[in-house]
Amino acid sequence: VIAQSTVSGKVTGEGEGLPGATIRVQGTLVGTVTDIDGNFSISVASDAILEISSVGFTTQVVPVNGQTRIDITLNIDVSQLEEVVVIGYGTQKKSHLTGAISKVTNKKLDQIALSRADEALIGQVAGVTVAQTGEDGVGSDPTLRVRGVGSITAGAGPLLVIDGVAVSSDFFGSVDMNDVESFEVLKDAASAAIFGSRGGNGVIMITTKQGVEGRTKFTYSTFTGFQDVKNNPDYNMSVAEHANREMAYNEAMGNTPLLSDRTRYKQLIGDQNWQDVIFDGGVITSHSLSVRGGSAKTKFSTSLSYLHDEGVLLTDDFKKYNLKAKIDHKVSDKFSFGITVNPSYTNRRRFDGSTHDILRQEAWLPVYLDANTIQYVDRVAYPDAQIGDYAVQTMFNNYDLNGDGGEVDISGTSNTNPAAKVLEKEYRDFKFKVFGKFYANYKINDDFSVSTSIGGDMQDTERTRWQGSEADRRGSSRSFSYFQNSKDVHTVMDGFVNYDRDFGNHSISATAGVARETFRNEYSDVTGSGFEFDYIETLNGATVISGADGYNREKTLLSFISRVNYAFSDKYLASVSLRRDGSSVFGDNKKYGMFPAVSIGWRVTEEDFFNSNIVNDLKIRVSYGVTGNDNINSDYGNILDWYAYSALLEAESAITEGAVSAAFNPINIANPDLQWERSFEFNPAIDFGLFEGRISGSVDYYKRTSEKLLLEIPVSGVTGFNEALVNIGEVVNKGIEIELRTNNMRTNNFSWTTTFLAANNNNELTNFADASGQILSVDSKRPGEWINLVGNPISSFYGFVVDKEIPLEYINDPFSTVGGKAQHVYVKDLNGDGLIDGDDRTILGSPYPKLTWSVTNEFRYKSFDMSFMFQGRHGVSVRNIADEYMYNFFESTSSQQFNPATTPDQGFLKRKVLTNSIIQDGSYVALRNINIGYTLSNAALEKVRLYNARVFVSGQNLLYIKSSDYSGFNPETIRDEGPLAYGYNRGGSPIARKITIGVSVDF
Amino acid sequence: VNKKIKIMKYLKYIVLSVFSMTVSSCGEDFLSPKPISSITADTFYSSEKELETAVINMYDGIQGINSTSNDDNHGVQEEYILTEMRTDNSGTRSGEGEPARLESYSVESTNSTVANYYSSFYNIIFRAHVVLENLGVADSQRDRFEGEAKFVRAYAYFNLVRLFGEVPMPTSVVLQDNEGVLFTRIGTSTIYDLIVDDLTTAVANLDNTYKTRASQAAAQALLAKVHLTLGEYNEALPLLEPVISSMEFDLEENFEDIYEISNERNEEIIFAIGYDGVNQTDSQLFSAEMTANGRTSGLNYLPQNMISALENIGGAERAAASYQEDPKPQYAGFFQTKKFIPNGNPEASDPTIGGNDWIVLRYADVLLMHVEAIMAGNPSTSDGGAIASFQKVRDRAGLTDLVTTITAQELLDERRVELAFENHRFFDLIRFGVAETVLGDWADDQGYNFSVTDLLLPIPQREINLSKGQLDQNPGY
Repeated sequence: VIAQSTVSGKVTGEGEGLPGATIRVQGTLVGTVTDIDGNFSISVASDAILEISSVGFTTQVVPVNGQTRIDITLNIDVSQLEEVVVIGYGTQKKSHLTGAISKVTNKKLDQIALSRADEALIGQVAGVTVAQTGEDGVGSDPTLRVRGVGSITAGAGPLLVIDGVAVSSDFFGSVDMNDVESFEVLKDAASAAIFGSRGGNGVIMITTKQGVEGRTKFTYSTFTGFQDVKNNPDYNMSVAEHANREMAYNEAMGNTPLLSDRTRYKQLIGDQNWQDVIFDGGVITSHSLSVRGGSAKTKFSTSLSYLHDEGVLLTDDFKKYNLKAKIDHKVSDKFSFGITVNPSYTNRRRFDGSTHDILRQEAWLPVYLDANTIQYVDRVAYPDAQIGDYAVQTMFNNYDLNGDGGEVDISGTSNTNPAAKVLEKEYRDFKFKVFGKFYANYKINDDFSVSTSIGGDMQDTERTRWQGSEADRRGSSRSFSYFQNSKDVHTVMDGFVNYDRDFGNHSISATAGVARETFRNEYSDVTGSGFEFDYIETLNGATVISGADGYNREKTLLSFISRVNYAFSDKYLASVSLRRDGSSVFGDNKKYGMFPAVSIGWRVTEEDFFNSNIVNDLKIRVSYGVTGNDNINSDYGNILDWYAYSALLEAESAITEGAVSAAFNPINIANPDLQWERSFEFNPAIDFGLFEGRISGSVDYYKRTSEKLLLEIPVSGVTGFNEALVNIGEVVNKGIEIELRTNNMRTNNFSWTTTFLAANNNNELTNFADASGQILSVDSKRPGEWINLVGNPISSFYGFVVDKEIPLEYINDPFSTVGGKAQHVYVKDLNGDGLIDGDDRTILGSPYPKLTWSVTNEFRYKSFDMSFMFQGRHGVSVRNIADEYMYNFFESTSSQQFNPATTPDQGFLKRKVLTNSIIQDGSYVALRNINIGYTLSNAALEKVRLYNARVFVSGQNLLYIKSSDYSGFNPETIRDEGPLAYGYNRGGSPIARKITIGVSVDF
Repeated sequence: VNKKIKIMKYLKYIVLSVFSMTVSSCGEDFLSPKPISSITADTFYSSEKELETAVINMYDGIQGINSTSNDDNHGVQEEYILTEMRTDNSGTRSGEGEPARLESYSVESTNSTVANYYSSFYNIIFRAHVVLENLGVADSQRDRFEGEAKFVRAYAYFNLVRLFGEVPMPTSVVLQDNEGVLFTRIGTSTIYDLIVDDLTTAVANLDNTYKTRASQAAAQALLAKVHLTLGEYNEALPLLEPVISSMEFDLEENFEDIYEISNERNEEIIFAIGYDGVNQTDSQLFSAEMTANGRTSGLNYLPQNMISALENIGGAERAAASYQEDPKPQYAGFFQTKKFIPNGNPEASDPTIGGNDWIVLRYADVLLMHVEAIMAGNPSTSDGGAIASFQKVRDRAGLTDLVTTITAQELLDERRVELAFENHRFFDLIRFGVAETVLGDWADDQGYNFSVTDLLLPIPQREINLSKGQLDQNPGY
């Protein structure tokens, strides 16, 4: 009998512990797996030989020779691309990939203090852009794009697939980042075509963490972050500064160097920095506990997490609760099944207002009346005003400043106090979501298997909205309580036959199947009004139920899916797929669309003739594929979007003879020929590894042509409608993507790696039929224009070009409002015909970035690690409408307008909103993330009886450099006004700076 | 082991059966779910009862959507901004916002209130065309439905042609590709020919059953107004006389009772747009917008000029029923329109469900048109019939002094104070040929920049842009 002994040790690679490395006793089935830190322990015979392997590293063989402690350092396999990548309906060795798929492994992404999973993708994948924040504060959807805007329907975001089930992109807001194992982004059409109908805008797949055979691992992670907003000096218009400007102007004009009564009066009242009021900062906290483990037959992964983000705005707040259970069981070698259930609950309070609407209030106005300010209140109009009441501008009118009986009027608006507008409203979304799936897999023989899954997702959204009496100058007459419920149920049933076989030099993997999906949405809302008091904010406090609505709708999708992957000698690779999708949203003869794709690859370095010490890995791949889109986003929305091909009548009512009579109203111009939008993409690329893996990367070129775009185009109101849904036009997106990873330095104690990503995108409208040259505007009060003109980027900014400002002497009362500027400006006579008309307008810029990039550096020294990412974008413009609000205040007939009697060349004046005055450079460079961590040593861990522990400090946006041309808070915030008028930078959350500390322990 | 094999076989069948279920549920029906909460138009309008929903839908269009978004068609709800507020009758309380551009004659072609009215009224015309194109399914009510649809179409075109001048004139449902119709401005005389034809049919086909749907009297009165507008006094008179002699209409005894919300559709009303105060969707905007509770904190507020007219010419009764001081203490000294505020109380719990009907035609208007038709463009008249009609209106207002002759100015003044804020003044000034002088003087007085081109509104810039140059703008914009 040979003595058994316990051998323990640590497996390292690239200077860090390797989790999941396999230790096997040669010639037996005995083995174990390393833990998260690379440690292992195994009971073996003292003369055994251990085989240590890990994906991406060369396998090592170590004889035990009676040792009890064995530490092994694995070397990187030069063919380290041997990673497995999740593709649609299957997996593939990375070396065999022929499409453009980027994988992002969640190494430290869950240590970034973010409330949504999609925000973690910023700067992680070349060609994926994430515009950071939405308009109403924390938890709002960012704008996510893969390779620019291809399909230009309003739903131009990629498809989200979690553990193989396509779910609503809304799930990005509820996924637990701690539970994400990896993201896989399918960028080219050939890769996405397997998702056919919904792959047109790329696909992002999330794989959640699985149980690993071995010890049951408990992990607890937590972080707490502190966030704030940097003051924006462009919009900080203080009374003091205003007075200086006025004085300087008086001196320059040779006027009496005296401030106007109004300004002197403002100085008396106060000087409030409104940015400090609405950007109140906040804390973000996360706790996550997971338990994962299992045996050879059964693996499980469970987790529980909680996140609370207070946001940086006055009322925004986001809470998220996640639960997950996933079990996989092997009944036998042939049969396995698994189940995943993933419920989540979010409670989000919005910032129910617009930042620019608040900040345009004048700096003299306080939030509340205090002992000083109350003495200026007009007691005739406001007899009941008290200290502590919200201050409103009209309270301060009719003040006898000079003690001569004269009255100074000061109000520029009759609006209520801007802080009250936000604080006295409560707007919440409560979302309960479940995503689940059951699957079963049966191996018929070594080559064939069948699999099926039944799953889906459900979302129950409850929205409540309350407006109290002080939120509006019109008081309780405008108080209301609103309740909305929307339930979405999506089911998927699929079945596949799979064939996998390696013989000789051939390796074939094929799959074919059917998927059947249903979508059902049930919606209802109720509005109550007639609140005399603010005590009860729910519907039962209303005296009148003033509105109610509700509808149900259904949509179905039927898909036939097939794919063959083939490799010869690991050298010549090919993949062919075909998907046929039927969608219920199209007319009888247009329901089905065909989405084929083909891609080929050649691993040049596998050739015998190729012999280089420099180039260790070189693959050339070319792909071509067709994807589709059935996503309709009409202005009318809801019912129309799912039955768009038919002429629909909606129930209406009219009052005739004092009674309600039923009416049916046509809501759309029917289009029975409405059909699939299709994208064709060509993607040649090379993947390379140089100097034994020191440098690796890829370069992709892509050209995607999207045609028959499903668009709602504006039509003449003379038809009786304002929009019509059509298939129209063609958009081409092309560009180059570069991913470069370098191992700059590697010793036992120190390593330094750099990742460089860059993507260039050019967007051009190549066909727009009769609609080419169409001009649009989205806000009739501030009608800045867009043009969609063939030969130019889609939704180009359009308008006049500023020549010069109007000299202040021609402005009525130029200092009537703090920070106010003239509403009009002289514009250039571009065609030189001596007059300004529509022909003097020109294209002023594109809202889509030409270049996005990121550089990430990672350092490790002994137990310390540090990484930081710079990220930026260039060649992009935004229409910063905040300027129009901030400087121009309220469209009034007198103040801040030019004097029509004296102003010269009035024919050359245009409102600034119609000019390039507010088309600004949306570029930026940001220090997106910085993360410094310390992992406890083994000795220390033993003392505290932990397997692994890490503490870290991270920061986000500690540096954010926007263009000097841009005066707003956040050039990334774009209001969704549809694809034809993109780039409207209105309101929006500012960029939040965060400092976070966190701990993660395994026990 | 045997047991296990059995289970395995069993499971195999489960997998295969789920698989086959997936495939078998692939019938064509699966991809054609029926709309649950709407109707498909292909099969609708198959009976008279169904067609009546399209008739009702026309009035729903005129009623418009009660929302504060100018993306929603507001129907007739904001017409006063384009008519009353462009005269010496009213303006904004604050001078703020887009509506102030109308009172100061500095309207831009991008004005959203103007664009909204344009698209609303073409939507009303579209709804009328849906009725006209499906008349085949009607039976006993065919003539009535035709009359109603043609009345509605004429009413819409009459307002469009007076506000915008030459406009596109579809006479059936048109789709977006029919640019020849959508972007061709038709001469006003052609439009008036259609209006006269339509109203003639309506007079022939309708009776006086309804007050908030089209009636014969409404068609007669509207057609009379069309003829007065065209200077065809001889055509107008025989239309007005039967309305007067029918004895189906009379003046309310008390002026203020015309507007009493519990007394709607009273004997004086010939045609009104119905609203109710129960549900937001069936109510209107203007009851709130004409108070400080509106978006622009007060529209249709009275300048001193109008207050003087009401007090000096209108007499106490009409003045008291027509306007009042804003009851909010901070707006003391501002005077608001009272006729369309529920019970005159702007602080009613929810002004967005005010519910007052909008009066389009009433008997007093018919009586004064009767005078106008007899006066026939002359400076004055002493005709007995004219005097009787004129005296009747004044007597009701408590102004019982006997009238012996009526001058055009007196008739215009009488119309101003009797029909104040009911969207007549602007059209009256044009019809009487004094718009340029009266509004010019008024603008000078207010410091506004008025020219004769301000009498027509701009074609909405949206339409000009969509037409890519096919539509010409009105001069001055």
